[in-house]
Amino acid sequence: MKETGLHELTEKLIGTEIKAELLRLFHMNPGILDTVESIARRIGRMPNDVEAEISPLVELGVLRKERFGKLDVVSLNTSKDKEVQEKLATLIEGGAKG
Amino acid sequence: MRALTGISELDAMLRGGLMRGDVTLVVGSAGTGKTTLALQYLINGATKFNENGLYVTFEQMPAQIYRDAASFGWDIRKLEAEGKLRIVCTSPPVLVQFVEQRNPIDAIIEEVNAKRIVIDSISHLEAFIPASELRGELYRLINHLKMKELTSVFTAESHEVFGDRLVVTGVGLSFLVDCIILLRIVEIQSSLKKALTILKIRGSDHDKQLREFEITAQGIKITAPFAEYEGVLTGAPRKSWTEETARAWTKAFVGKP
Repeated sequence: MKETGLHELTEKLIGTEIKAELLRLFHMNPGILDTVESIARRIGRMPNDVEAEISPLVELGVLRKERFGKLDVVSLNTSKDKEVQEKLATLIEGGAKG
Repeated sequence: MRALTGISELDAMLRGGLMRGDVTLVVGSAGTGKTTLALQYLINGATKFNENGLYVTFEQMPAQIYRDAASFGWDIRKLEAEGKLRIVCTSPPVLVQFVEQRNPIDAIIEEVNAKRIVIDSISHLEAFIPASELRGELYRLINHLKMKELTSVFTAESHEVFGDRLVVTGVGLSFLVDCIILLRIVEIQSSLKKALTILKIRGSDHDKQLREFEITAQGIKITAPFAEYEGVLTGAPRKSWTEETARAWTKAFVGKP
């Protein structure tokens, strides 16, 4: 993962309300393997709003988006998510010490 | 040849468990215990019979399943961490999406080395798939799971809580599956009780009695048959006309027992 500052990383992860809701949803329910439309329904949001917020999380690697026939299927990339969480913890620890 | 459910009384009713590679439909109205029975089948598979499993849910979120399972002492998160069980939360269009004979959940089936699968509930497919395509899609899904040698349990909603009419599904699913277990709420002496019966098993004998069951702190517990009652499936049974009651009736109204 590219060196990223604490502010930039938290912005990418939970910079908006929908991103925070998405992360919470996937952390509480790591077995979700679903379409954007259905994920939007699960957090009570509109698909277009969720689509826009999923992209940065896919870019970061926390979520995985795979094309399957006519459908884009989104799931949690557990190993990358763990890596990002560890990175975040290190940055927070470094910030606290600094 | 057989996949034990681990619910000993049910395994006895099935004459030794579910037929391996078959699809079983557990049908009942809300609150009858379909999800508990299906989960217990997977938990027992993973913990007692060394058979890993996959639980596919549509509306119910995994977090709720973890919580509800914990009330029976089943630690699903631990089983997931051990690679013995996996909860997948998806929607019907994903489940019936096939590209070059592959389905999105195939990778998880292979990763877990699943021998058992539960789809809870197959009734949700009706809301997402056009009626004209539903039977065909179900047929494809069932055959896909059979080709993967999974012993499958599907749950299905029955809308009739009480009454003498029972519709398992509207698309002839009862003809596509190999075994049907019916769960029903019945009223007996002003109490609501739960009844279980096996409607069919393809290629095997089975217990034909209606049995009472309870959802205990350890899961499903099947007890005695409703031997003294008739019309239990209607939801409002009446006492059977036994020889004893016949004698009592004769004595009371005719005077000669």
